[in-house]
Amino acid sequence: MQRNRPPSPQTINVLRTLAADPARWRYGYDLATEVRLKSGSLYPILVRLADRGLLETSWEPGRDSRPPRHLYRLSPTGREFVAALTAARVDRTTLNPHNRWSEA
Amino acid sequence: MLGGLFFVPMLGLLGIMIALYRRNPQRFLDGPTEDAPLRLMRWGVGLLSPQRVEWGQAMLCELGHLEGRIQRMRFALGCVGALLVLRPWGRAAVGVWTMIVLAAGAVGLYGGMAAHYRLGGGDWIAAAILTVFVIGVLLGASALARRPGVAIPGLLGGMFITVTFLTLSGFTFLDQILPDTVPWHRLVQVIVVPFVVGAAGTLWGRDPVVGKRIARLAAITGSLSLFVYTSIAVAAIGGGGPFDQDGGGTLRGTISDRLGNNLVLLAFTTLVFATIGWAGAAAAGRLLRRTPTPTVPGPISPNLEAQQEV
Repeated sequence: MQRNRPPSPQTINVLRTLAADPARWRYGYDLATEVRLKSGSLYPILVRLADRGLLETSWEPGRDSRPPRHLYRLSPTGREFVAALTAARVDRTTLNPHNRWSEA
Repeated sequence: MLGGLFFVPMLGLLGIMIALYRRNPQRFLDGPTEDAPLRLMRWGVGLLSPQRVEWGQAMLCELGHLEGRIQRMRFALGCVGALLVLRPWGRAAVGVWTMIVLAAGAVGLYGGMAAHYRLGGGDWIAAAILTVFVIGVLLGASALARRPGVAIPGLLGGMFITVTFLTLSGFTFLDQILPDTVPWHRLVQVIVVPFVVGAAGTLWGRDPVVGKRIARLAAITGSLSLFVYTSIAVAAIGGGGPFDQDGGGTLRGTISDRLGNNLVLLAFTTLVFATIGWAGAAAAGRLLRRTPTPTVPGPISPNLEAQQEV
């Protein structure tokens, strides 16, 4: 049975980073550097997102004796999820303006 | 103090063996010796379940694009941590986690009792040797568990060895402290059961090499489980029961002696279970080779049929 827990702050950070340019494919290491997460934290997040259908993955063929590379970007469902997440956050902030202080 | 000096030659011998091992250029058969991150990552990927293999490959390929030893090592360490907890667990990961729990239990119980009863330096040296030994068998077990078709049969074989051993020696803690077994019990515990496990491994895998690996993993699992159980027995009974003559009649001496007995049992059972199991696997392999495999006749070509008719 799949649990539907609310996403962690790290997961939200990854989702937002991917949503900043949703059409762009990203490499795992570059994404880890961008969101400032260790590989041991990032990859389980990516796996969970892909399992829930929020992430698209693809392979870039290897070049110049380098191995192929795994690519990631948000799926259409993932984009909708991020939009809903942002809307819910805006609603919460509007209802309770004190939250702004906690976000600072 | 003199007891502690007994271990110095053993540690020296261990150091010589490690030095010889490190000088051997053939020690790594599947890749360059200097690329530790790659080897570490391959080890981690080998633990994955089939559903997660693609993610393991993704991490492995990403590593191929990174430069710098420290950067690569940090990336590999993080990924291996993720691979160990990535669900669903593969059979190899189940095997490795079982061994980690057993190893941690073994070292924790020994160290805990040495601290609780304020045992002497010799016991702490013994605890250090136990730690080195357990790390060694853990590395060996993780290498075995990664091989296809070995992890689960090896663990089951180890459980079978443990349960049979305890059934014959008695399940109570006092039975572990003061074993009172008849000779044929020992024969079954130490010879027959490991032999059967090794032979069954060969027959199950249809390959003596697989059977030998299963036998070794079962030996490690069985001996570590027995060690943990006997250590729990010492922790539960403490200085209760009759004092051991070897321990000088004191509480600390008795505890030290009982822990020492367990340590000897661990080394003895690991070695003997593995050797006998290996022999069982090899013997079953001989039987397999003697059994003629049915040959399937190939399709006869029309030309050949025509020639036969002529």
